[in-house]
Amino acid sequence: MSGTSPALVAAREADAAAASAVKALQAAGQLEEARERYAELVARHQRRAARIAYHYLRDAAEADEAVQDAFVKAYQHLASFREELPFDVWFTRILINGCLDRIKARTRRERWLLPMSGKSAPVDGSSAERDVTDRVAAGGQSPEQALLGRERRQQIAAALSKLPERQRSVFVLSHVEGRTSREVSALTGLNESTVRVHLFRAIRKLRGLLADDTVDAAPGELKGKRRVTS
Amino acid sequence: MSLLDRLTRGHLTDRQFAELWATSQSTGVTHPHLDACADCRRRFEAFDRWVNGIGDELRTEADDAFPAERLTVQQAQIARRLETLERPARVLAFPRAARAVISGNSHVRRWVTVAAAAGLIAGVGLGQVFQLPGSLLKPPAAVTAVALTQPQTQKIAKELRPENSSINDEELLSDAFTRSRVTTLNALDDMTPHARDLALTRRGK
Repeated sequence: MSGTSPALVAAREADAAAASAVKALQAAGQLEEARERYAELVARHQRRAARIAYHYLRDAAEADEAVQDAFVKAYQHLASFREELPFDVWFTRILINGCLDRIKARTRRERWLLPMSGKSAPVDGSSAERDVTDRVAAGGQSPEQALLGRERRQQIAAALSKLPERQRSVFVLSHVEGRTSREVSALTGLNESTVRVHLFRAIRKLRGLLADDTVDAAPGELKGKRRVTS
Repeated sequence: MSLLDRLTRGHLTDRQFAELWATSQSTGVTHPHLDACADCRRRFEAFDRWVNGIGDELRTEADDAFPAERLTVQQAQIARRLETLERPARVLAFPRAARAVISGNSHVRRWVTVAAAAGLIAGVGLGQVFQLPGSLLKPPAAVTAVALTQPQTQKIAKELRPENSSINDEELLSDAFTRSRVTTLNALDDMTPHARDLALTRRGK
């Protein structure tokens, strides 16, 4: 993860070419062609955007809206996009800002509303509501494995939600999305060394919260660590 | 391996692993102890697997929330939103029926309204200037006060009094002019000036 892989370089070149083409088409007034070309960019970054938005918002429907808004906003402001910056970094920054705005709005809303079941936000999202049999059919797992996997994911999500916002952002971007410290720094506006510190703290805290997962850790290190209950 | 053993022998702790892991991701730098100590290397590999496992789980969770069909729908929605962006906003016409009722576009209707208003104003003005015959504009009959004599008053009172009434009004009123029935209070009553006596005295003059 330290360097930029050739595949990533090629993908970024393709992004830059597509973004430039869309910009040129928009300027020429060929809007239908511009939209068609932009659809390529959407298809390429959609899943990654959905993952990021989901980890920020912890709600599939809201993440869906945030992704849509980010793509629309990026299309509208493509004229201000500078080619020297990778498109995915520029776009992810728009997405993260949108997610943070939504979190702020949600916090304001929740200040005036009574929580229904003591939880401020769904921890496991809509995926948890899906029938276990669906997953078994899809993944070829036994019901027990599917249930254990689901429980583990809920534990991890609960632990992640307990991290401070910056630590969570840095962890998700650098680890789940495979960004380098420099890229995370560009995305979040934090200093590169600050990114590393946040990442280190996030891992250390997660290690403490998910103490049961510490395979091969020394017995002395696990003492006093608590298990996260979702 | 105990914590004490690790500290005395200079083995790496979990905290150092976390720090090392965070740094090695961007810089590729490793700890020299890892090259020398097989035990710590093994533990660091386990740590690395654990962190990567969390990443895998989080990715799986997000991908479960966004299956391929959902992404397809999302893509279509984005395309639709982009299309509507470029289309100029269309002003919807107000319903015709509602407009006809509210605005009254017809010239004839407008003239009729103006004529009716003018007629009403002219009628009221003429009515003020000329006195119209008939009872409509006659002033109401004045109510005059009639002074009644005492026999007449008594007669009216007698007519109005119910037949079987046990209360005699004359008695009731005259009782107020008579002296107190309590004899001990007569002296006090004599000393008290009465307005009725003064009036009778003046009338007698």
